[in-house]
Amino acid sequence: MKDRLDALRGPVPPLAHDARAIAALAANPGCARRAVLDAAGVDKELTARHVGFPAPFGRSRFAITRGDAFEAQVKESGCAELLRLLREVLHLPIPEVAYHDVSDVGAHLRHSHTRRLIDRAARDDGDAGTFYDHPLFALEIAGHTSYLEPDVIAFRLGGRFHVVEIKSFPVIDGQADPVKVAAAARQAAVYVLALRELLRELGHDPMRASHEVVLVCPENFANKPVAALLDVRRELAVLRRQLARMARVEDLVASLPEELTFDLARDASGIPTRPAAELADALGAVAARYAPECMSACDLCFFCRDEARACGSTDLLGRHVRDQLGGVATVSEALALAEGAREPADGQDEIARLLRYAGELRAECLEGLELEGAR
Amino acid sequence: MSALAALARLRAVREGRAQRLTTVRHCHVSDRPMVFVPFQLAGEAAAPLAAMVGTDPGSPRLLVVPQPRDRDLRFAFAAELAEVVLPYVEGFGKVTETVERRNADPYERCLDAPQLVLPNRQGVAFTGLLGRSTRFRRPDGPFPVHPSVPVLGRWLTFFAERASYPGSSLTLAATDALAMHWASGQSDLEDANLAALMGWIDPPPGRTGLQAAEEAEDPLLWPPAGPATDPGFDNEVLAPAIEAYAEAPTAAAVERIRQAVRSQAEPAWRLTWRALELLRALPAGGSVAQRWDYDRGAFTDFLTRTAEGAPPQARRDGAVSAAARLARMERARASFDAQRAYDDPLVMAEYRLTGEAFAGNVVATEPEHTEGEGRSRKLRPLVTVATADPVRLAPGTTLGTPDRRGQEAEVVEVEGGTVTIKITKGMGRGKTPAPGAVPEVGERVCYTSVTDDFQAAAALPEPEMTPWTHGGPPPEYVPTDEDAGEEWS
Amino acid sequence: MDALERRIDELRAEVRRAVRVRDAALARALRAELRRAERDWDATVSEEALDTPATVPGDVLDASGPAPDAASAAFRAALGGPATVPAHALGTASIGSGQVPGALLPGETAGALRSGVASPSAGASGSSESASGSSESASGSGGLLSSSSRRAGGQAYGGRRRSGGAERAEGGSRAGLVPVREQVHQALAMLGAPAAGRMIVAVHEAFFAGGLRAGRMTSLRRDEERSFRAAPYARPYYLCAALTERLSPARGLYAVSTWPLDRRIVTPLSPRVDFLTAARRVAERIQLLTGRGEEPSAAAVRLLARMARNIPGAMPGDVLPPDPADVIRAAAAELEVHLPADAAGRASAARRAARQLADVECLFGAATLSDAARKGA
Repeated sequence: MKDRLDALRGPVPPLAHDARAIAALAANPGCARRAVLDAAGVDKELTARHVGFPAPFGRSRFAITRGDAFEAQVKESGCAELLRLLREVLHLPIPEVAYHDVSDVGAHLRHSHTRRLIDRAARDDGDAGTFYDHPLFALEIAGHTSYLEPDVIAFRLGGRFHVVEIKSFPVIDGQADPVKVAAAARQAAVYVLALRELLRELGHDPMRASHEVVLVCPENFANKPVAALLDVRRELAVLRRQLARMARVEDLVASLPEELTFDLARDASGIPTRPAAELADALGAVAARYAPECMSACDLCFFCRDEARACGSTDLLGRHVRDQLGGVATVSEALALAEGAREPADGQDEIARLLRYAGELRAECLEGLELEGAR
Repeated sequence: MSALAALARLRAVREGRAQRLTTVRHCHVSDRPMVFVPFQLAGEAAAPLAAMVGTDPGSPRLLVVPQPRDRDLRFAFAAELAEVVLPYVEGFGKVTETVERRNADPYERCLDAPQLVLPNRQGVAFTGLLGRSTRFRRPDGPFPVHPSVPVLGRWLTFFAERASYPGSSLTLAATDALAMHWASGQSDLEDANLAALMGWIDPPPGRTGLQAAEEAEDPLLWPPAGPATDPGFDNEVLAPAIEAYAEAPTAAAVERIRQAVRSQAEPAWRLTWRALELLRALPAGGSVAQRWDYDRGAFTDFLTRTAEGAPPQARRDGAVSAAARLARMERARASFDAQRAYDDPLVMAEYRLTGEAFAGNVVATEPEHTEGEGRSRKLRPLVTVATADPVRLAPGTTLGTPDRRGQEAEVVEVEGGTVTIKITKGMGRGKTPAPGAVPEVGERVCYTSVTDDFQAAAALPEPEMTPWTHGGPPPEYVPTDEDAGEEWS
Repeated sequence: MDALERRIDELRAEVRRAVRVRDAALARALRAELRRAERDWDATVSEEALDTPATVPGDVLDASGPAPDAASAAFRAALGGPATVPAHALGTASIGSGQVPGALLPGETAGALRSGVASPSAGASGSSESASGSSESASGSGGLLSSSSRRAGGQAYGGRRRSGGAERAEGGSRAGLVPVREQVHQALAMLGAPAAGRMIVAVHEAFFAGGLRAGRMTSLRRDEERSFRAAPYARPYYLCAALTERLSPARGLYAVSTWPLDRRIVTPLSPRVDFLTAARRVAERIQLLTGRGEEPSAAAVRLLARMARNIPGAMPGDVLPPDPADVIRAAAAELEVHLPADAAGRASAARRAARQLADVECLFGAATLSDAARKGA
């Protein structure tokens, strides 16, 4: 199986997933194309660019700078700000202040150092540690190990470990942008899952990693941090499901043509030389499930949207419309049903009747307007 | 999303052009709106970067904060913005009319009201944040600001709050206003991009809506309409310009930032005015003027309270006022939905499709039908309508009709393709109906269970009677020094 | 001028296109060309600017906007002048410069206005906290213990290009008078415990000349090590590393070579202990100044407030500014909880260090395997 995935990717190391990417895996679980590409560790961003549909993502320097500065502020002086918040929110006892900077060791030792520290803390009910800054976690994704470098801190309270996620979006008068909170929760869930895996490997009860994560954000318009507890059980469940699906990616891969590959055929300097049309064909061999929401989560979104347009898919119009159309796959089919130019297939009677009637009503109401040349 | 709207989107895809969702306009478009295109610095809570603002499409005023992280510059920006916004807003207070009321004293209402138009919903949210961050400021004390800043903050807060009030037109988000009237051939997520949505509605000559929308997604051709800027612009243009200013805050450095920001703001400025033009070209629905009357009342009310020195809006509502607000919003939503349906057959068609309304020709009437005996004998005309609509109304359901708005009716029987109704209100006291009060055989009529009843407000206690389960009576809101001294970094 | 602007717009678009398709070489070339065009434009506009009167930031596209009303102009003037500037906002200008802020400001204000820079208040009052936390972390400023290093630079608004602006460009010149290593030493000596760059910058700004930039400290430890290796103990002190319990250099912490070894060790409890110690020192210093009848700088008060906020009981009733006596008492109370364990850990690690390490390693940390790997990488 691993060989097959390696062949799909070509002779380059698999792309490591960061927490954001792993969290995004759960965004569109129905998409086989994404599942296969991610399982094989294909560089989707480069792939999308090579086929002429670069992803629309970019991060502003201002946002990055601001995020880094806020994180540094929260962690400053042995996490002095964070300590205040945890004492307020979780009633962390005064003696709990020990701070371990895992990055005091070299990069290649960080994962084992993290393991050792967490193991010691899990065995010892004394004061083996409270904060673990810059930990390095590992998570197995479809046979490949991805290392996660959270900007988070794991901390221990009463024998349970919590993940702290530091985000620089503001909480104003007790309210934060729900979209951003949801994204933070998905990311934090990835870290909780990785921490649980680690505890399991070490022979401890994985549930000692709490599903309650601490979200730290600036309050109002100042930089004073404020903390809230976030329950990520739902996100964990979605994530586990999707990772399990990816582990079963064999079924998907087995149905693909034997010679299929997404190899970019990079030259010595890493520039892709594979003919773009050929690569696009290869992508087309795995079914995608495009939805407009992909545009905030997947590098291939413009490619898939273009494909959806080419076949006139109703997915283009968003989930509301697709749900309303009850499974009619293409725009032309739906219009043909509405205009009576096509006999409804089995199970389409109801939607055909609805569309036809909707068409009649529109005609009736717009009759007068058409004359005015209404748009 | 109704089947009707879904069908309109499908058609838009095939025609390559947006399709009408309404036959009339359901929002008020002012003769003298103020367009406000704000931009914020990425990553910050509410750091204004720039704004293009004004009432004349030909001469916008461009306000720029050359270093958005500098609090004093931000307040200078707020003071500048106040110089533009406050005279505009307060100018409407000069001319008033006297409104007579039954059983109450007459009151003064401004003859017209301001209308703030933003490119999109995010712009409205940013307006709220800007209001939140300025309304508690004070001209004295630890962080003094220009006296106009807190006043501006109250107005921006007012406009942001009105935007979420169903049917209000004091604040419009261009994308939302357009999407209410047109269905594009893309998803509603993509409709949030003003340039893309305008591409579908009003493509340049020789282009399809799809082509225009695709072009609109290129931030180089069509910079985002704010308040977020394009990350590429931030990294390649804005950041070097701000750095140059930090090195040497010269006139040239400021001008460079202005130029950069203007290139981002101007397209959105033009698009927003064009959107207003398109909306204005639609005939106004019958209830638009009435809703604008309410808007004028709300504006007058707030103007008066502000002039009388009421404190700024609280950070958070107390339990009772939050519940009251929610109830008010729900009523406004129901009322707005009903009014649109009554004003617009294409909106009514959505209810006909779901069986909550029906239209058809009158096939039989019994205009002098009565109920009750003796003194309580009442005129209850019966009307039978033949309709092809899939009626789903139970006998006894209360109905209204756009054709005779004062009347109320009730479903008597639904039988095959006919519905018999009984007119229960608005028939007067006579023994025979007034001419025209009962539809004639052959007349086309429409009835619906959607009504604009003024349902009684939910019984809520006075704020001072808030039960302890809801936090007890809230202390009267008095802005504190803490509010005023809050860091604005 | 118009042609130049068009060219700049085109170039910007091309640069961004190149960036989007990841053509680094082309983007670089285009950027260079863009910079040239922008310089030309700057030069042209500067010439024109000399002839035009100053404008406030919000002008009108057709350049015929109404002038700001008199009240607002008066207000701005007031803000720019010393009379109504909050002491707090002025802090950075007054600290240690030996200059009376009032004497300095009006000139700046005028300079800023002349050069058409936004609001004079911004230029003059140095925007005390507005930049904190949100400013470039790369350069180390911003955040809890934010310094005003960038703002100090910003105070030179309008001055740097003018000959009369010499003393206003204090951000650079003051720092230039005292070598960075001495500035860092001043701050560390006052704190009496290992500290990170941000804290050192904040302390220096609060109690010394200020103007220290974290960015200038990056190579400090390496330089000190080189100097020590070349001529051991030639200097009275070295700025060296704090050591972890594994005796490797602790990331990002500075210490002084003359301190006893155990003070330079950091156990997991030490960051908290050192923070509380630092808070106490800061509070004591403020008490000392007040006792002498001197006014502590706004930056010092701010620093104390931000530290006190994170110590239980240090700010009873959350009243600002905190009473130094409260901070000292609260810090001491919490210190009592952590000190014994921390001291034991430090002492044992110090004994090991003394046994195992050569002098240079004692100061700059044992080169661990991981360090070797890091250098190799």
